[in-house]
Order: sequence, then structure tokens, then C-alpha cells
Amino acid sequence: GILAHLEMLERRAQQVAMEEGEAQKQEEKLERLKARVQELRLQRDELRAKLDLQQKQQLGQEGAVLEVEPPSARAVLDWKMKSVKAMLELFYLTGISGKLTKRGVCFCISTAYEGTYLDSYYLDLLIKAQVEIHHHSIPVFIPLEKMAKKYLQTDIRRFLCVLSDHLNAYVGRRYQADQLQQHFSDQIEGTIQRNSLCNLLVFNYNVSSKSQTFPFKVRLVYGDLCCSLPTEVIVASTPDAPASLTQTAAAHSDLFRRMALHKAFRSFCPAEESMD
Amino acid sequence: MDSSIYQAYEDEIQSLEEEIKLLAEKYEDGQQESTFFSEEEILESMYASFHIKSSQRESKGFECPSDLKAELQSLETDLSFLMKFTGIQFRSHTKKTMEKNGDRTVRKHRLSGNCHSMSFHLEFQLLEMQNKENVSAVITDLSIMMDSGEDSDVSKFVSRVEEHGSLLTFFRSLSSYAEWHEHRRCTFLHFK
Repeated sequence: GILAHLEMLERRAQQVAMEEGEAQKQEEKLERLKARVQELRLQRDELRAKLDLQQKQQLGQEGAVLEVEPPSARAVLDWKMKSVKAMLELFYLTGISGKLTKRGVCFCISTAYEGTYLDSYYLDLLIKAQVEIHHHSIPVFIPLEKMAKKYLQTDIRRFLCVLSDHLNAYVGRRYQADQLQQHFSDQIEGTIQRNSLCNLLVFNYNVSSKSQTFPFKVRLVYGDLCCSLPTEVIVASTPDAPASLTQTAAAHSDLFRRMALHKAFRSFCPAEESMD
Repeated sequence: MDSSIYQAYEDEIQSLEEEIKLLAEKYEDGQQESTFFSEEEILESMYASFHIKSSQRESKGFECPSDLKAELQSLETDLSFLMKFTGIQFRSHTKKTMEKNGDRTVRKHRLSGNCHSMSFHLEFQLLEMQNKENVSAVITDLSIMMDSGEDSDVSKFVSRVEEHGSLLTFFRSLSSYAEWHEHRRCTFLHFK
């Protein structure tokens, strides 16, 4: 009837209004995006021109540079501030940085494995009649107390060096195990078992011989806490493995003694490494 | 709703924003590198700021100039302490931003200095990536020149360090070696 017809017309009108509303919103959004692109392009072009001019000036190509007013005190200080901050950041890369505090100094010991920087640790020292460790973030399994007892009062620098050696070695051992787990997970059976100091590693890995795979058991002990290479290596094949594999086990054992774990693996199964 | 019409614009916006960040940083690097103020100019500027009364505080919400001066002095004290304590003195440093996209920044650094009596000149690239908790840093293309380069132990050490990008190891080892070297030199002088 008429009512139904009217209802239908009303619904249709509502739908058209909604669609028109949508279309308008879309257009508005499109306009905004276009305007933003224009704005950014302009900004980008201005920067390019500025950079170009700067490079020409630095190469002495841009004739006589108009002598602008001498830099403000503010500009000079800003420049110096940037320069000093940049140098302080560089100290982070050297392994020992820090800042003076009201009652002493807070050192930051950074660690790295080759070119990759890893964890950094802080040590907040109070310098009074005695040197005291106020706060620190050194893990509990690092023999901090022993080192402090031996060196802290007489030679802070030596103390920090020894501590840095321990921390870098720990982080280096941990990094090798992580890299091994990450890139050679196909060869490793399960997970690498390790203690918190990462100076005892036990794991199994697969070695193939004539299209059969055999597990090798490995036990690595890092007796020198300042070293990231093991002092004891045991690589054992299972009793049912062919005799030729005992030679392989010996060769691998030798590699592990001389090379970082993940690099040793890379050398005897280069094809298997999963790149991440 | 066809979102693909927006996509092209949104992609361009993102790429423009990143390019702008990179260009701005390159310009900043250039300004920083080509400027040099002597110690006198810096001291003058510090005194100038000191006289600015707080009623003339800059309206853009910058820190009061005397705060800037105090912070600068504090940082300089930290820097001079570190140089004295570690024996590592940096004489000159420049950095250039090579790449900047998303969380990734690559900068090329040139650094000269000495550790006790041993001088060095380094160049390296530093890749920094921002992740949730911190910034990760990786050194590549490390090149080291040392004055005592004729010493075969030193040059072997330097090649190994360059090969692996072991900048931290370089500094730690340089620091102990230079200190030992210095100690030895002083001991010999003492007995002359």
C-alpha cells in the first residue's frame, strides 16, 4: 500500500543521503591528503635547496657569502652543546662512559660482540673516605664483590677494566649461544642448555654422513670468565655412529676451542644457515 | 570504500616525511661541521647569557639561557672527567647522516684523538635501530690509522679489529696498552 511505498521511498532517500555523505567524506579526505602532499613536497624542495646552497658554500663555489649578522650567544652555545653531547655519546662506544654525580660518579659499562653493541650496565659509586657502590645493574652471577674487594679502593680504573672484561666475555658467550640457536635451529636438537653465566653449554646437534644423520653431544665449559672461548670441549658421537664420525667429532671439537660457536657452525655447514 | 586511492597519497606522504627528516639532519650535520667557535667566543656567549634577566625569557618555551649555560658546563665537566679518567682524548669529530628511514639511521663518523701518547684516526659507519626498549648499534666499515703503525703487533691488532668492526675492543685494548706503555716510559725516564 501507500504506507509501504512511502517507507520504501524514505529508506531510499536515507540511503542516498548516506551515500552522498560518504562520497563527500571521501572527497574531503582526498583533498586533505593532496594538500598534505603539496605541503610536504614544498618543504622537501626547500630543504633540498638549502642543503644544496650549504654544500656549494662549503666547497667555496657560491661567490662571496653575504656576511650575516654575527651568531647570537644562543647559537654559539647550541653549537657547543651539540658538539659536547656528540663526544659524550662517543664515549659510550669506547666501553666506559659516565657522568659525575653530587656524591661521586655513575659509570656506564657498555659491551659489544665485535661490531654489535649489546647490553650496557651502570655502576653508581659514592666517593667518600671509601669508595662505595651505591647502585648497580650488574647481574648477580658476575663476581662483583670479589673484584670490588680487590681493586675498588686502590685503583678504580683497574676495577672497571676487570669488570668490563667479565661483562664483555659474558655477553659474548651469550651472544654466540643466541646466534647459534637463531641461525642453526635446524641442526640443533631442542634448545641449548646454559647456565646464567653462560659458561656451561650443553646441546646436541645433527651431523650428516652418507645421507644419514647422527646426533653429536657437546659440552662446553668456559673456565676463564674473562674469555668467550671454551677451555674444555667434549664432542661425542653416539655408539652406533660410523667410525669416520669420530674424526669429525675431533675436528669439530678443535673448531669450538678456537672459534666462536656460530662461526664454527658456519664453517662446517655453510649451506644450512638460516639467514634472518 | 576504495582505500587504494588513498594508499598512493599515504605512501608518498610517508616517504616525503622520511626524506624531510633525512634532509633536515644532513643540513644540521653540515651546519655543525662547518661552524667553529673558539673558546673565547664560547666564554663570551656564556657571559652574555648570564646577563639575560629571566623577564626576557624566550617566549617559545626554550629553557632560560642560564639553564643552558649550567647544563653545558655540567656536560663539559663530565667530558673532561672521562677524558682524564680513561686517558682517551678526542680532538676532533665529525658525523654525516647517510641514511634515515623509519627506525634506521646510518651515520658516518670521523674521529681523531689520542690515548696517552698514542694517536689514532678512525672512520666508521654506525647503524642505529630504534626498537621498543632501546637503540641497537652496529659498527661497519671501520678503518683505523695509528701513528705507531710500524709496530707489527699494533698493525696486526688493528687489522683484526678492522675486520670485525670491534670498535669497543679497540678502545679497551688501546687504553690498557697505552697506559702500560706510558708507565714503562715514565719508569725509564725515572731511571735516566
